[in-house]
Amino acid sequence: MMSWDAVYSLLPLVVGLPLLAAIACALLDSHRWRVGLSILFAFLQLSIVVMLLLAIQHSGAGASYRYALGGWGAPLGIDLVVDGLAIILLLITALLVLILSIYSAQYFSAPNKAAGFWPLWWLLVAGLNAAFISADAFNIYVALEIIGLSAVALVALTGTRAALTAALRYALVGLLGSLCYLLGVALLYRAYGTLDLVQLASTVQANPLTWASLALISVGLLLKTALLPLHFWLPSAHASAPAPVSAVLSALVVKASFYLLVRFWLEVLAPATTEFAMNFLGLLGATAIVWGCIAAFRASRLKLLVAYSTVAQLGYLFLLFPLAAASDISVPLIDSVSDVAGSAALAAVIYFIIAHALAKAAMFLAAGNIQSCYGHDTIDKLQGAARSQPIAVFTFAIAGISLIGLPPSGGFIAKWLLLNSAIQNGQWWWVIVMLVGGLLAAVYIGRVLTIAFAQTVAQSGDKMSTHLLPRGLAMCGLVLAISAVLLGFNAEPVLALLEGSAQISSMGAGGL
Amino acid sequence: MFISLEFQQQNTNEKELSRVTCWLLGAIITALSIALTIALLVTDKAVPGLADLAAKNLDISGVENPVTAVLLNFRSYDTLLEIAVLLIVAVAILPTQSSTTTQFLSVDDKIIISPVLVGLLKWLVPLAILVGGYLLWTGAYSPGGAFQAGAVVAGAGVALSLAGRHDFLWQTTKARVALNLGLLVFLLVAAANAIVTGTSLQYPVEHAGWLILVVEIAATLSIAAILLLLFVRLKKIAERSEQEINQ
Repeated sequence: MMSWDAVYSLLPLVVGLPLLAAIACALLDSHRWRVGLSILFAFLQLSIVVMLLLAIQHSGAGASYRYALGGWGAPLGIDLVVDGLAIILLLITALLVLILSIYSAQYFSAPNKAAGFWPLWWLLVAGLNAAFISADAFNIYVALEIIGLSAVALVALTGTRAALTAALRYALVGLLGSLCYLLGVALLYRAYGTLDLVQLASTVQANPLTWASLALISVGLLLKTALLPLHFWLPSAHASAPAPVSAVLSALVVKASFYLLVRFWLEVLAPATTEFAMNFLGLLGATAIVWGCIAAFRASRLKLLVAYSTVAQLGYLFLLFPLAAASDISVPLIDSVSDVAGSAALAAVIYFIIAHALAKAAMFLAAGNIQSCYGHDTIDKLQGAARSQPIAVFTFAIAGISLIGLPPSGGFIAKWLLLNSAIQNGQWWWVIVMLVGGLLAAVYIGRVLTIAFAQTVAQSGDKMSTHLLPRGLAMCGLVLAISAVLLGFNAEPVLALLEGSAQISSMGAGGL
Repeated sequence: MFISLEFQQQNTNEKELSRVTCWLLGAIITALSIALTIALLVTDKAVPGLADLAAKNLDISGVENPVTAVLLNFRSYDTLLEIAVLLIVAVAILPTQSSTTTQFLSVDDKIIISPVLVGLLKWLVPLAILVGGYLLWTGAYSPGGAFQAGAVVAGAGVALSLAGRHDFLWQTTKARVALNLGLLVFLLVAAANAIVTGTSLQYPVEHAGWLILVVEIAATLSIAAILLLLFVRLKKIAERSEQEINQ
């Protein structure tokens, strides 16, 4: 249909608009203009993504659309591709960017910091969107560079010594990851003569070179995703960044490289993957769940706790691989017969990504609010926070419910789907890991809440000089946390939406 | 911002790796390299590659140099994003305090420098800019282009900065425009293409040549400005750290 094609022609704007916003924010000198334009651009971006989503839904389940930039078409040119999986990530990105932009407008009230923040913020968004819709292996490398560099610069924005050290380490790790990825892509180009993901997917064979390339690409992306043994840079970087930056790093940036891993393992280089390797990734994920939770429990600072919780939550995502290996699925980009249980695992993981993005962003905003009120975020000194900062603690608690996976939150549905898929595949051992992970999450979140609700002994008035924050700051986090819970109440429409991306059968969704 | 960190950090808690770990690491790296070499040796190179395809389409690309055709036409989206990467660096290192002056280049005549140096600069700076322009122009036919030209033009600025009399004020509007121009023009051309041909970044064949030149001129200016900004800022930070260490 003509009209839907017109909608699809908006696809390049998903990258173009954030770039334009970045330039506008870099050129303008007025704080008010920067903020106003940013929120306007965030709205525009969201509406474009929603239109694209409607177009995809209209085209039916498993639909994808290719946009040949420059009119050349792969392999000479670069194609953009949008399908169900990509559109969901674009949507959650656009949504979070809007809310976090509103938050940042108030968070960065000092013009000096704001002048650096807004252009970098929009460049980061452009990089994320570019990575989600790219159909070209080298182009993904450039997108990864944009994401990596702007994220580093945003972490360094805090300006403290700890933040600079964390940012420098983050930069070096990101660089190493990018170079590994690039080497892998160079090997692929040598062997198959194309950089287009779909063309690669149709010609790739299982041979030593493809294995070498898969290994390099995986190590590069795993470094950026911070899967357990390669997670060492994450806690300090995510914990020392400004609050909205921490939120976007945990909610979206690590998910971008995970998304690319899914593309490469289940789709582009699928012929070269082995069940052993998939199970190995799952094992690393399981270790990450347990270890991340323990580290979160032992963390002394609130933001560090939230950052370690990200390490644990990322582990759940990697359970996708063993579950997918057992059922041999393929993502709809190249489309083929998709197995019920396998695509249910993918749908579960996508659901998990959305739920975690909302909950974790809310949690970082709450932690940031508590930190800017108290001037510190040492957990043991947060007694009485529930009384002085009720909204922040409430936000933290609700987001915690979703992270633990208690009903009726989005996190519950995500875990439930994942459990379901594990049982269907007969891989019961992952179920134990997931249950233990939920229990441990309850412990570390409970620890914070216990201290926050503790009565402070006769010191009301003195030392509690917590200056009040603008109400908007507290509300943004609350909105995110509540949407994480609402995600659980409205599982049906979200699952229907996922159906197009992961092609879950009625069995996967009907179980609810 | 990182340099100052490096200067201050005198290896506080870095432990040296033990000998066994070093050997182990060496062995692992050697094994991986050997595996990679074997993998490369046992697989064949893809026969056609994309070079032939690029050569075939060179006629309708608007330029005669295949490298420029790939960078600014076939895969122009990559170049667009790479210019965005450069902009990130610029924004990250840009001084944030606003200024009241409007002049980008300021000259302090009171600083006395050798007349030989003055004479040299009088020749060197215009020459570098001229060579930059030539490299930019020649990029359409033979090796050259925006990145090379930008680097040479930035060299002119570096020479001025090293001589000591000139200072660049990066907070000014002019400086900000120079830093952003490359990406802005690229985006505008991409949008104009989308309106004219219906596809973003698709040049109308008969106009491809001059449109690419416009994009390249803007990119050259921005690349030169960003490289110069990097040099000047890092020089200032290094000088400041040196002073601190001396005190």
